Amino acid sequence: MDPLLVKANVVKHTSLPKSLRPTSPPPENVPKHKHIKDLKLRTKLNRQAIHAARSKALVEDADLLLTGDAGKMQVENEMERTWRIGQDDIVQGAGQEAAKGRRELKLDGGPYRSRYSRNGRHLAIVGTMGHVATFDWQTGTMHAELQLQETCRDITFLQDQSFFAVAQKKYVFIYDRDGVELHRLKSHIEPTRLEFLSYHWLLASVGNTGFLKYQDTSTGNIVAEHRTKLGACHTLAQNKHSAVLHLGHSNGVVTLWTPNLPHPAVQLLAHLGPVVGMSVDPSSGGRYMATSGQDGVVKVWDCRNWKGAVREWTTRGGGAELEWSAKGALSVAVGGSVNVYTKPSIQTSHPAKAPPPLYLTHPIPHRPLTSVRFCPFQDILTIGHNAGLSSILVPGAGEPNFDSAEADPFENKKARREREVKGLLDKIQPDMITLDPDFIGSLAPQTKLTTAVNDTHDIPFARLPRLERLRVQGKADDTEAVDDDNDGDEGDGDKSGKTQSRAEKEKRKMRGKGKSVKRYLRKQRKNVIDPTAVAIRAKLEKHREEKRVARAIEKGQMEPHKPSALDRFKRP
Amino acid sequence: MVKISVLQHDPSVHLPARPGDPTPTTRNLDPLMHPFARARERNRALNAAKMDRLFAKPFVGALEGHIDAIEVLSKKPGSLSTVASGSWDGGVILHNVSERKHIRRIQGAHKGKVSGLCFAQDDRLLSCGVDSNIKLWDATPQDGPIQRPLSVYPGKSPFNSIDHHRSDPLFATASNIVQIWDETKSAAISDLTFPTSTETITSVRFNMSETSVLGSIGSDRTFTLYDIRTGKAERRVIMQMRSNALAWSPTFPTTVLLASEDHNLYTFDVRQLNTPTKIYKAHVAAVMSCDWSPTGLEFVSGGWDRTVRIWKEGQGTGPEVYHTKRMQRVSSSIFTADARFVLSGSDDGNVRIWKAKASEKLGIITARERAAIEYRESLKDRWKHDNEVGKIQRKRHLPKPVYQAAKLKRTMLDSRAVKEERRRKHTRAGESKPAAERKKVVIAEQT
Repeated sequence: MDPLLVKANVVKHTSLPKSLRPTSPPPENVPKHKHIKDLKLRTKLNRQAIHAARSKALVEDADLLLTGDAGKMQVENEMERTWRIGQDDIVQGAGQEAAKGRRELKLDGGPYRSRYSRNGRHLAIVGTMGHVATFDWQTGTMHAELQLQETCRDITFLQDQSFFAVAQKKYVFIYDRDGVELHRLKSHIEPTRLEFLSYHWLLASVGNTGFLKYQDTSTGNIVAEHRTKLGACHTLAQNKHSAVLHLGHSNGVVTLWTPNLPHPAVQLLAHLGPVVGMSVDPSSGGRYMATSGQDGVVKVWDCRNWKGAVREWTTRGGGAELEWSAKGALSVAVGGSVNVYTKPSIQTSHPAKAPPPLYLTHPIPHRPLTSVRFCPFQDILTIGHNAGLSSILVPGAGEPNFDSAEADPFENKKARREREVKGLLDKIQPDMITLDPDFIGSLAPQTKLTTAVNDTHDIPFARLPRLERLRVQGKADDTEAVDDDNDGDEGDGDKSGKTQSRAEKEKRKMRGKGKSVKRYLRKQRKNVIDPTAVAIRAKLEKHREEKRVARAIEKGQMEPHKPSALDRFKRP
Repeated sequence: MVKISVLQHDPSVHLPARPGDPTPTTRNLDPLMHPFARARERNRALNAAKMDRLFAKPFVGALEGHIDAIEVLSKKPGSLSTVASGSWDGGVILHNVSERKHIRRIQGAHKGKVSGLCFAQDDRLLSCGVDSNIKLWDATPQDGPIQRPLSVYPGKSPFNSIDHHRSDPLFATASNIVQIWDETKSAAISDLTFPTSTETITSVRFNMSETSVLGSIGSDRTFTLYDIRTGKAERRVIMQMRSNALAWSPTFPTTVLLASEDHNLYTFDVRQLNTPTKIYKAHVAAVMSCDWSPTGLEFVSGGWDRTVRIWKEGQGTGPEVYHTKRMQRVSSSIFTADARFVLSGSDDGNVRIWKAKASEKLGIITARERAAIEYRESLKDRWKHDNEVGKIQRKRHLPKPVYQAAKLKRTMLDSRAVKEERRRKHTRAGESKPAAERKKVVIAEQT
């Protein structure tokens, strides 16, 4: 039978429905895996690569379909400044729905702190004197209002609006949506700040005792208790992309913590005097951190490289509260006003200690200003102060397109329940929190050749682990694994540069604390001759030589060596 | 003037238009909107792997009726549910697998054990026994005490196996020689034997596409190929150990599977008989039976170690393994024609029905459920190299004796390899070369 006909026949019976068939031609620049000999494997890899490239292109297409328009303020000539625009003008320029975001809540018992739920629909507020309220700010529905009659220092929603935790005078308490006290967390003593890590279901608190405690809210277990040894702590921020907690201490030190390390992952001296405010930039994947100190300085740090701040400037009026919005607007509440700065200028390094160009400013006469919070998916900034809370409009601060699978401001009861169950199923174990969240699913670092050859005797080939057998045979695949995300935009030209910089990378790799003794030892180590390594090198060299000879014999350049009785007297 | 626009969401876009409508959803694929996407996906893969093991309940049911060990099972071509089983008590039972009922029960079909069964055309059944008789039975459902065969073909020596030609009214039997019979004639029409062979033939099978070719295995450790058109044995290979069963692949006509006494299964390409194409290692005792799935992608084997294993073609290790407390040595195992179930007949006199995929859900599966299953499958495949996910997927509980035997076997083989290497190291250079495992299997190929 004609093979083409057979193929057509088979295709008719096995193909996908027309609607599901990939219509786009296979993308270009897909790796062909020509170095792989196994045909089956090569085909499989090729198919995977095409699939990956195609889905990447589809993701790019999906960007075009996003409908939401971000807010903005644009000047038309050079003499105009956006910061000259007051809230009244912005409210007039805003749509009817958006204008509702501008509100003033006059409350007794301040100063107040606030927190939005993950979908930005619900707001929880707490006054120092014990006034706690949670409500849906868009419809104005009050969920709970409590007068706790004792000092309250912080509040946070748990997974959604149905639970919230309050840091009270002695302990942390958990209330349900209606304000019924559910739990008294007695292990969190004198808490000052709370954070909820929503993908890990962990409630973290720091307090006057200087302990950082993680409690799993799905099981109730205390996951980790870290003694910071740096005294009472009043500043806490989370990196939303790595779940690392940033603590600011009263001696000006900032420490980064994960549950699985008993000591800080990073520790740096950020300010001369207590650290007051801190926030991590969600718009750059947690790359930048802003801190402010009692010394009146605001600093922006690059979290990949802690050598000095990227940008710093001085504010008037002491310690500033900070918050970074989803689109990268940094709000600084200090003295009697809130200033908002926008993205490219605050993250580019600038030698002078001048403040970056101001985007928006708003005076608030009720000092002190104790909290600033951006509302997710809205252009709203809520400032807590002595006389209650005021919300102002910051055009361009919020992410316009939400994802219903992550957080949906318009979700109904059923969707909320569904999300809760899904969230519990997808709960990430606390051990997985690291500075680099991308380590999951990446290749393990190569093990060093240590067992292959020993000082006294060599291990039989049959007892070697598989990878080392392959290496001894010269069959191990040492080509560097390239990350899916990177291989597209980097051309082939980059590859040689990558291998060159490997030694450099190793040299500059951060190894915990950079103590001078350790550095000295490390440098000394270069001169130590390790017999194991030498033996391995010799063995590999021998193999290479044998291979070379075999190849030469094959080509007829050399005479093959015949085994003779005299071989036994040969030196190895 | 300054242009001002403030973000606002139109509720009419995001809320259902009428009560009862589904709530509209939106997607934003920006990776910044999906923190920990990889970690969460891994978590889902882990859950998928765990669910797979959690729902792994492969045992469906047992078909009873025989009073002695099962020797042979045979499925009816073209039928999903009809299966015949023959036992050491001389009885033959026709089972309806889907209803788990007897279609027909022939007690005392043979004196001594029934050693071979196969279906002939027109709903008839052929059986052979150690009483040197071949009997042709009517396989339609009927009751009644008097059950007489349609015809009897007497032979000279006890028969070990029988197989029917795919289309013609011919069948082949194995005793000390291979004989070809015509259904209409009472004596064998031809004898096939390899010139030098004197040993017993244990099994014989027709190839399903090249219908005149048949293969046999014997107790002299051989696998022999015959062609009934020439009436001769064409070729044979002598192996290290004898084989207990053979099966032709239903989709690759040149591929044949041998279940060997040395605990392994081998696939051979009959065009290239000097090495097997693959060795399948997991049994810890002799493999007694094997059968291909109708897709040709999987096969089942039953062993002396009281386990049933399901293998993927071309994957020599890590098969699915089934066992129960009461199941004894498995002497016969077959795949059903829909590739969803596996039947095993064992020394305890029961035919057991197993699912071919241990965690498959039986019954109606909705579209959403199907989508979820497919998503879980792809997750498991994507994360199989992750330590934890892979471990859960690979790990199987084994009965203690099987586990211990496997451990002992591993130790023995390892130390043998080490010894071999040390011996080689202390002999003259170039004296002995390590041989690949596949080259050790076949001793000689004869034509």
